[in-house]
Amino acid sequence: MKALLSLLGLTALLAWTGPAQAVVNVFACHPEWGALASEIGGDRVSVYTATTALQDPHKIQARPSLIARARVADLVICTGAELEVGWMPVVIGQAGNDKIVAGKPGNLEAANYVQLKEVPQRLDRSMGDVHPRGNPHIQWDPHNIQLVADELAKRLVYIDPAGKAYYDSRLASFTQRWAEATKRWEQEATPLRGIPVIEHHKELTYLFDWLGMPVVGSLEPKPGVEPTSSHLTELVQQQSSRPAKLIVITTQKNPDAAEWLSGHVKIPEIALPQTVGGTPGAKDLFSMYDDAINRLLAAEKPKS
Amino acid sequence: MQHRKPMALALALAWVAAGTSHAQTTSAELDQIRQEIQAVKQGYEKRIQDLENRLKQAEQAAQQAQTTAKQAEQQAQSAASQAKESAKQSEKVAAEAPAPQQPASPSSFNPALSLILQGGYYNSNQNPNTRSITGFLGPGELGLPERGFSLGESEITISANVDHLFYGQATFSIEDGVIETEEAFFQTTALGHGFTGKGGRFFSGIGYENSIHAHAWDFQDDSLVQQAFLGPNFGIDGLQATWIAPLSKVYVELGAEGGKPVEFPFADSDQNHNGFQVATLFAHLGGDIGVSHSYRFGVWAMNADNNVTDQPLAALDFTGVTNTLTGGNDKLWGLDFVYKWAPNGDPSYRNFKFVAEWMQRKLDGTLTYAPGDPAQQTGSFEATQSGWYVQGIYQFHPYWRAGLRYGELNEGSYTLGSGLAGAPGLAPPDFTPKRVSAMVDWSPSEFSRFRLQYNQDKSQQGITDNQWFLQYILSLGTHGAHKF
Repeated sequence: MKALLSLLGLTALLAWTGPAQAVVNVFACHPEWGALASEIGGDRVSVYTATTALQDPHKIQARPSLIARARVADLVICTGAELEVGWMPVVIGQAGNDKIVAGKPGNLEAANYVQLKEVPQRLDRSMGDVHPRGNPHIQWDPHNIQLVADELAKRLVYIDPAGKAYYDSRLASFTQRWAEATKRWEQEATPLRGIPVIEHHKELTYLFDWLGMPVVGSLEPKPGVEPTSSHLTELVQQQSSRPAKLIVITTQKNPDAAEWLSGHVKIPEIALPQTVGGTPGAKDLFSMYDDAINRLLAAEKPKS
Repeated sequence: MQHRKPMALALALAWVAAGTSHAQTTSAELDQIRQEIQAVKQGYEKRIQDLENRLKQAEQAAQQAQTTAKQAEQQAQSAASQAKESAKQSEKVAAEAPAPQQPASPSSFNPALSLILQGGYYNSNQNPNTRSITGFLGPGELGLPERGFSLGESEITISANVDHLFYGQATFSIEDGVIETEEAFFQTTALGHGFTGKGGRFFSGIGYENSIHAHAWDFQDDSLVQQAFLGPNFGIDGLQATWIAPLSKVYVELGAEGGKPVEFPFADSDQNHNGFQVATLFAHLGGDIGVSHSYRFGVWAMNADNNVTDQPLAALDFTGVTNTLTGGNDKLWGLDFVYKWAPNGDPSYRNFKFVAEWMQRKLDGTLTYAPGDPAQQTGSFEATQSGWYVQGIYQFHPYWRAGLRYGELNEGSYTLGSGLAGAPGLAPPDFTPKRVSAMVDWSPSEFSRFRLQYNQDKSQQGITDNQWFLQYILSLGTHGAHKF
């Protein structure tokens, strides 16, 4: 206890002279937002990430541990667009934390700051578990990441005005590095342009759109509905009219359907990280994109 | 009754704590910052209102939306640059705060509306209307449907944020012309400091199963002990206060409730008096173990008037005569435990859930044996009874789950006053009510579920009831969020 107290004292002392200590508790619904909060917030934020890349973001349960974390959060950053509709309302409703309720600066929904794709023209659950506001898996377009980074920096400044200069400089640094990386990825991915793919869910739509890879089918017959044998058979037949060259799923998904289809139509099947942490290489936002593009490039190269 | 004062105290403390903790000061500088923040907050509310109004207009004309967002953006930027000016500062920094560029979709409901359709088929050799739990007070709702095909409760839930301070929700169940208000409450959203207050009619937070709506149960029916002591969902017309401890790594919730019970076993027409007729206290402790395991423990206590006159104690009528209880009082307490497992914390493909609950009831009052009969006797009466269940549910496929449950009741003991010394047969029956259930269900999406369940029900002495249920639960409308 004494050691702890002296440590606290030391930390307090350092806070006056040295670099800032964490002052903002961030609750990130998903690893990409946790990683972004670390990029912009640096040492001034303490980030808790509620889910991992191996979990289906739609199907998280409102576990007691999440409520405990939300209780002490200064800022909650989630995707929004109803991606977390099955659990975050309960977490926020029970946490008793007025800083993070909807409409407060401490509640940031990333989807409010980007243009969502695949906004349904018609809302009908026979179409599967469609999101009324559009496809919420926005983390796979680097331009979206930048838009959310801008807003995140504003929120951090609002919550922690003393850190304004710090957040501004980190945002500026991130913006520059991100723009350079985006340019590099776009160059590296040139060979991928035009390669037709089959995906699992709609969680990589933004990536394929950005890289110019047409999606000719998905393993799920409807969003949120697991692959069925009849639907897979259709995909096999479709191969003659609209051939795909690659089956791309994420490491969160059960690979059985992709492997089955890959075996039947003789095209490679690969798994990308769903988000940060989905593969050993996807350690942060930069390496997550690196990893995904490298995996796509490796799979695309004709085997000799 | 002993719980009433602590209950009132807890409620009072909740409000006081919420109100005064702002007042702590550490230094003049902090004070100043606080005042500034306060000023920012006041300006902020108004600004947000304005922005929201503008965004609403923008929804109607798509083109306008862009301009409005841009204006908001410009204001935000100008606010940032002038952040150090004192007079106008608060108002403009507020504009920097959230101004969603995209308005919420017009397709999203306000208020959120959902409808649950339920029904099915029930098969048994026993007439469900004559079934009861031997030795337990009251109708002991076994929750059995009619035999053959029947429509279950249709449930309508409407919910929305009322304003910036309150959230409101109501659930109505409709069954053959009878509309019941299952829940209709408001809840605070802005108390902060871990406090949440609730008022209206709500399911009590005691135990695990009690606050879960029937459509979200893991079996067609609720557990035997729940049915014997609390009914399907024990509801209160009154107030609830909960507090979550600021511990971040472990979940600790304390709660207190007070009000009037809605239904069996406590409510009756004689509840028309001042003050609390029921008060509860509960505490929960929960967390994760690694990424794949999570748990929650609960402990609770309840004190309720059972101040009924001439209530025939059907369950105690195995003496062969009618008994009535007056001036009754019920004390209940219980323990509950939930554990969930999902590989890597992802329940999509496989997961397991374990639930166990135990509860005990102490009922006392003045018992009149065979009223109006020459053999009539009157004296004090006390019964202590208990029950428990355990259940496990395994999801072995994205759409398929299987579950087992076992529960039993303990008839306990009666303590009789001297006036009842001569009442023949006034002792708990030598019988242990029990029920074992097995179910398998299929949920092709989050919105539909079909279930087959078998119960071997031995809750009534001398009867083994083999019950088969086929059930459907369909959910239309807003995607609801479920509790842990």
